Amino acid sequence: MRLFVIYTVDGITNGMVYAAVALALVMIWRATRIINYAQGAMAMFTTYIALVVIRHGAPYWLGFLVALATGLVLGAVTERLLVRPVESRPPLNAVILSLGVLILLEAVAPMLFGGQTQSFPVPVSNIDFVVGTTSLPVSPFAVFTVGAVLIAMLLLFLVFQRTTLGLRMRAAAFNPEIARILGIRVGRMLTLGWGLAALLGALAGMLAAPAVYLYPSNMDEVLVFGFTGAIIGGLESPVGAVTGAVGVGLALSYVSGYIGADLAPLGGFVILILVLMLRPQGLFSFGRQRQV
Amino acid sequence: MLEISDLTVAYGGVIALDQVSLSVPEGSITAVLGANGAGKSTLVRTISGLVKPRRGSVMLGDEQLVGRSPEAIARLGVGHVPEGHGIISELTVDENLRLGGLWRRDRADQRVAIEEAYELFPPLRVRRSVHASNLSGGERQMLSIGRAMVARPTALLLDEPSLGLAGGLLAQIMQRLVVLVTERNLSVLLIEQNARSALSVADQAVVLSLGKIELRDSAERLAGDDALRHAYLGF
Amino acid sequence: MNSLLRRFTFVRHGLFFLGLAVVLLILTSFVFDSYTNYNVTEVAIFAISAAGLTVLTGINGQVSLGHGALMMIGAYTTSVLLTWHPDLPLVLMLIASIVSTGIAGAIVGIAGARLRGPYLAGATLALAVALPQVPSHFASVFGGNQGLSVSPPTPPAFLGTSFAPEQWLAWITLAAAVITFFVLANLVRSATGRRFRMVRDNEVAARLSGIDVARTQVLAFVVSAACAGLAGSLFAYWVTVTSPSGFTLNLSLSLLTAIVIGGLGSLSGAVLGSFIVVYLPVWTGGFASSLNLSSNIANNVPLAIYGVVLIVAILVFPRGVAGGVASIVHGVRRAAGSNRRAGVLPAAPQAPAQ
Ligand SMILES: Nc1ncnc2c1ncn2[C@@H]1O[C@H](COP(=O)(O)OP(=O)(O)OP(=O)(O)O)[C@@H](O)[C@H]1O
Ligand SMILES: [Mg+2]
Repeated sequence: MRLFVIYTVDGITNGMVYAAVALALVMIWRATRIINYAQGAMAMFTTYIALVVIRHGAPYWLGFLVALATGLVLGAVTERLLVRPVESRPPLNAVILSLGVLILLEAVAPMLFGGQTQSFPVPVSNIDFVVGTTSLPVSPFAVFTVGAVLIAMLLLFLVFQRTTLGLRMRAAAFNPEIARILGIRVGRMLTLGWGLAALLGALAGMLAAPAVYLYPSNMDEVLVFGFTGAIIGGLESPVGAVTGAVGVGLALSYVSGYIGADLAPLGGFVILILVLMLRPQGLFSFGRQRQV
Repeated sequence: MLEISDLTVAYGGVIALDQVSLSVPEGSITAVLGANGAGKSTLVRTISGLVKPRRGSVMLGDEQLVGRSPEAIARLGVGHVPEGHGIISELTVDENLRLGGLWRRDRADQRVAIEEAYELFPPLRVRRSVHASNLSGGERQMLSIGRAMVARPTALLLDEPSLGLAGGLLAQIMQRLVVLVTERNLSVLLIEQNARSALSVADQAVVLSLGKIELRDSAERLAGDDALRHAYLGF
Repeated sequence: MNSLLRRFTFVRHGLFFLGLAVVLLILTSFVFDSYTNYNVTEVAIFAISAAGLTVLTGINGQVSLGHGALMMIGAYTTSVLLTWHPDLPLVLMLIASIVSTGIAGAIVGIAGARLRGPYLAGATLALAVALPQVPSHFASVFGGNQGLSVSPPTPPAFLGTSFAPEQWLAWITLAAAVITFFVLANLVRSATGRRFRMVRDNEVAARLSGIDVARTQVLAFVVSAACAGLAGSLFAYWVTVTSPSGFTLNLSLSLLTAIVIGGLGSLSGAVLGSFIVVYLPVWTGGFASSLNLSSNIANNVPLAIYGVVLIVAILVFPRGVAGGVASIVHGVRRAAGSNRRAGVLPAAPQAPAQ
């Protein structure tokens, strides 16, 4: 029973990191019909930059902010310079383009920051809380992780639902042509959307690094699990993405706890296939079937 | 004054508009009639910048519209009610209306304009917070026209607003349109399949056929002359 | 007439590939040193797998980000069988790998036939990440992270005792590649190939004209996986150790890089792309060591170049580098007043809509 609780807490904590990635993927997918396969690599890159800042003696929080800010810029620049020209082309172009960005970032990172695996600091202890003599299955860092992702999601929700900027972004994503004849600068909205998504990815990178360590491909699995969650959630729905990603986190945690850590990715794959066999459009995708 | 001259548009090699010239004075409605595929939507889509012409110019007042982006053209005062209404069904009625004026600096007047849209089309007010996907066809057209008006345009392009509307409702909307035109001194380009109702409100009318203007006359004369009506409009 | 023409194509292909085989035989026997043979073998292995991916992605329009995982199935089939029965002949190993991976491809294809665009890409991506974990877990069968060792095939006695095993492997691999390309070139031109393309270009239209879309897609997956299995088996002989680290996501991405560089949908492009993907690290390695670059930089230059090439290929040459070259050649010829079509490189189609 205690093990089950531990696995559950772990699963939710990891799941929230996957959820940040999943949400970033869904934001970009809804706005531009593109899966950003470089999402994880971008997060890896911004995490390295945070590490450089922290290694130079700056406090963790400064590194944290620098990572988020670089993420925003990296996402925006990627959209403006690379994605914009292929937005109206057949989807395979964007797939290959974002894989190119993924490969490039994973090659440039070791050139700039060194290729060896590095440990990454935590802002608060990642040793489990102790009450009296019993240790709880939760660490301050786990609480921070879940809290940070929840706050980020809440802020995004407020921006999208409660501000005119968010309304413009939603209009640009739902129907770019109509948005344009209503005077909305759709290009800017897409750039901003990519920026915000990459910012969310950067947050996931900072939260994942203490556990998975920092190396050029450290976010590959996180990206795949986040993507799995987003697909299970149906790609269109932010709520679905978060639910799917937390579900993936839990499933992986149980698989690696009860069966073997090596099999966690296989478990993720099996769940993905099972869900897609039952519902090829994911769980939260209602209404019209999209032929993408 | 909306002044279109020598406008030529091609999709690939296919000419969709061939040297179209047309001027729409302020405070008046010009009906554009023609069969399916005549190039009516192409005309309004070119004016609002969604389609780039090969040649020609579109002037709104002193501003050349050709070569500008759709968002810039909207900001110069062109309101476009697109074919099939173009409501964003994922958003609520109120959000759709607000979208119309978001680019404008004057926040207070935006709210006034939205209020006016609700007054123009009262059925929208009761449904203001429902998702636009739940609206009826007529309500969608009202929303689309209302949304265009929120921007306080000087020129209004209506692409088949009668599509899917019952006769009574259509007459109502047309009456409101006429009031708007004189009140706001709008230049209106009204695309219609339904020639009868368009001619009843328009000042002048053109018949477009295979991308060319085939006939140009006052709406009154066109509606009154049986021979012309039979020949070009088929009723 | 039509069948005559087709038979003619078949014969022409046959003669072409026979000639190619002879040229390669001479090159590997008398011209190349053993290091070159070693690299050429790798190019051939890569090309077999890339050709399979070309059929799937370029011609049938299904994106697979997990082809490295399919190669892994082929490699492990051979390696496990060899640890059980070291004496089994190589041909049997190749066939077993083709069959096992083809079956795996059928399973993935059946699961994938209902999936479109990002859903299919996501599923294959998950496969690419998940499958390499299996050998670590079932270490008793698959040798864990150390992997299984595979001894290179021994040349037959009549070639003499001094005949180098690398050269023998080069012969086998090139023969396998020539046969694969012969089969695929004919497949692509056949009615089946036409169906593959119709499904890629317009699924609804294909369905209306009576094509069983799902079956066509599964078939493409099987063909493609069979190629990956063959390549994987040869890969096992070539590296001599089959371990999970040989089949990372990077392998899948390099395969995709190869077919994009070569021009999506073109079989000769797959060869060109494989050549570049294999030789780029060799060249940059030499270049980097002559510049005394640190290993962190030197080791990653090829990867960086792949990334840049993919990006540039899409932004500048949406038809692939080969397609770009072909259209330049075409343009030059037209400018020179010749109205012959550019025949050096087959014009690659634009990246298909999914
Ligand atoms: N995006 C496009 N690409 C290619 N051809 C187009 C495109 N849009 C319209 N056309 C063609 O241009 C011609 C004019 O089309 P347009 O939509 O302007 O006609 P319309 O008068 O609005 O017709 P309807 O009454 O059916 O709305 C038609 O032949 C149409 O097929
Ligand atoms: Mg029309």
